[in-house]
Amino acid sequence: MLEKVSFLLLSFTLAEQLCKPGDPDGYKVRLSIKTALGENAYVWNDNEMFLFRATLAFAMTKQFDGQQFEVSDIIVCNQTARVSFWFVVTYPHNKTLVDKQVVERAVRKSRNRINSAFLLSDTTLEFIGIPPTLATPVNPSTPTWLIVFGVVMGAVCAGIIVVLVVSLVQRKRKKNETNEDTQVKTVENGAARDGVYYMSFSEDESSVTQM
Amino acid sequence: MEKGARPNWDNPMQFLLACISYAVGLGNVWRFPYLCQMHGGGGFLIPYLLMLFLEGMPLFYLELAIGQRMRLGSIGAWTAISPYLGGVGLAGVVTSLYLCLYYNIINAWSFWYLFHSFQSALPWADCPINSNRTGPVEECEMATPTQYFFYRETLDISSSIEENGDIHTGQALCLLLAWVITYLFIIRGIKSTGKVVYFTATFPYVVLFIYLIRGITLHGAINGVKYMFTPKMEQLANPTTWINAATQIFFSLGLGFGSLIAFASYNQYNNNIEFQAIIVSLINSGTSIFASFVTFAIYGFKATINYENCLERTRLLLLNAFNLAEDSVTIDSVFEWIEKLNTTYPQQFDIIANKLENCDLESELNTAVEGTGLAFIVYSEAIKYMPLPQLWSVLYFIMLLLLGLGSMLGNITAIITPLQDFKVASRMSNELFSGLVCLFCLLLGLGFTTSSGNYWFTMFNDYGATLSLLVVVLIEVITVSYIYGIKRFEKDIEDMLGHRPNWYWKIMWAGTSPLLLIVLLISYIINYIQGGAPTYQAWNIELVSVGFISSPL
Repeated sequence: MLEKVSFLLLSFTLAEQLCKPGDPDGYKVRLSIKTALGENAYVWNDNEMFLFRATLAFAMTKQFDGQQFEVSDIIVCNQTARVSFWFVVTYPHNKTLVDKQVVERAVRKSRNRINSAFLLSDTTLEFIGIPPTLATPVNPSTPTWLIVFGVVMGAVCAGIIVVLVVSLVQRKRKKNETNEDTQVKTVENGAARDGVYYMSFSEDESSVTQM
Repeated sequence: MEKGARPNWDNPMQFLLACISYAVGLGNVWRFPYLCQMHGGGGFLIPYLLMLFLEGMPLFYLELAIGQRMRLGSIGAWTAISPYLGGVGLAGVVTSLYLCLYYNIINAWSFWYLFHSFQSALPWADCPINSNRTGPVEECEMATPTQYFFYRETLDISSSIEENGDIHTGQALCLLLAWVITYLFIIRGIKSTGKVVYFTATFPYVVLFIYLIRGITLHGAINGVKYMFTPKMEQLANPTTWINAATQIFFSLGLGFGSLIAFASYNQYNNNIEFQAIIVSLINSGTSIFASFVTFAIYGFKATINYENCLERTRLLLLNAFNLAEDSVTIDSVFEWIEKLNTTYPQQFDIIANKLENCDLESELNTAVEGTGLAFIVYSEAIKYMPLPQLWSVLYFIMLLLLGLGSMLGNITAIITPLQDFKVASRMSNELFSGLVCLFCLLLGLGFTTSSGNYWFTMFNDYGATLSLLVVVLIEVITVSYIYGIKRFEKDIEDMLGHRPNWYWKIMWAGTSPLLLIVLLISYIINYIQGGAPTYQAWNIELVSVGFISSPL
């Protein structure tokens, strides 16, 4: 009985010694629950801590694919009121610390799942030293602005063509009218010696625009 | 209609709206609020309104009268007054040409921003992500997203005017569009311009009104409005205030380009230009004041948001450094906590002391900006914080476009009308001649779409028109008052309007306005000489900020 107690105490203190703030193989985690959830914020307690350790064990197991990590392999220390703490990960069979890079890869792989477990996001659940992988920017094949540009440019060019065609047609029509007028005028010039020709008294009504 | 008869406006309202559309331009929105802020807020209105009556209205009336009397563009009109003075008109045409070259670039930028507003997230709201997908692009992180979008994605700016890069295709396309639209508006001369100005003159007011309601309901807008309208009367003792007021009135009304002469030359002979001159000048100044009200509401909003963001960042810094519970430090208690922590944990506090920002609302409001910086950086930053930013962005840039295109109409008409008076050009059809002018300006304007284009733009903007306009208008007013003679001019006006101009106009034309112009001219020359080597603001890629470089000229 005594051996069991002393063994437990030993493993406990060993675990405590493994986890130190500033440990080269450990990471600091910071949660901003009130910022993320406001009124729906849950209180951080031991249950939540257990969930964290379990989620991290899940992430490590997923990364390693053969070894089964247990909750006891995730050791946490130095909890503060901010809700920040340090953690280290040990291998399930020999209790040596897992390398920093390995932990980083595991966290990165399952970051989304860890975030969702706590209803938080990359900015409110921070692993200090593991920058979040940002989403790929959506690049449509044709930039949106080019489409709008095309529409406006098309409309304006159509407007110009319409105006040009209309004025061209009007000019042709006017030229036809003045051709008829000049025919009448030459008659006038020829008859100048005979008298003054007043176009308004001309009987040729068809050349005058009907009112 | 006989062949060669001068076209007329369909009704006097079209002429009035054309003048308003021309005079009310981008300067009302981005120059006047800056001057107001620099020269004592509400107190600046005193010199501004005084100058309006001393030089603005008389000179405006003068140009309209000349145009309506002579019924020719600026070159023909001045040649008719005296054969030696054709150069005055020619100077106006050349200055208008310079303006046409660079002014449409602003419209191109407005188009660029307008087209980029049709996205779910405005591109200037957040920094783009770098190629490693680890964080934002470095240049953007050191500056702000709005600055990055303007200087890098819109302009692709180089570090100095000597480094010419390639033409920015997007900019070139937008410039092409701006010129195509300008061509559409002037294609039939004033027959088409007259219809367009119904829209370009009135819609900006609709947008300004909508923005006024939106602006004053924004959080923190009242800070900006209070800041602007608190008069600092001691600024009135500064002569620069009066000079700037006079200069602003002068340039805001668009005198000297020949646009007013051109517009008025299409009037009926007895159109009442006296009444119209008063109306347009008052509307122009009223719009400036109205626009600055809106601008300062927006300023106040932006400054308050930035201040609160600063406080939030400081709060987080304190929480993270001292591992305090989240709800212990609130935004309101940030400053108290700084004091408390500084006294209780001085060593720990020192570690974060250099990361601590100095959050100050006054200094946020104090950042007075003018010109393209105000229109494209400050305003777009404020817009991205508004709810439903895409709508506000579209409205705003459409307004900028209409203001810019309206002024372009006047300047292009100032070039085309006098040249068409010459028989050489009148043999070509209107459409062809206008098209050639637009094409010419487009091709030369492509130079402003290169990487160093913004520096060339600044150079043209600062030096292209200012001195020549002062000289041109001074000669105009002296000519009319003394060479042509006030008595003859009086008789001409009586002939046109049916009554002689009263003593106020005559005193202004013969005395006050020329004196004021001489004072402006002298002060401009003195400033230029005292300024030493001219400098310009350049985007420093290493420091990612705007600094002053000495001009190579």
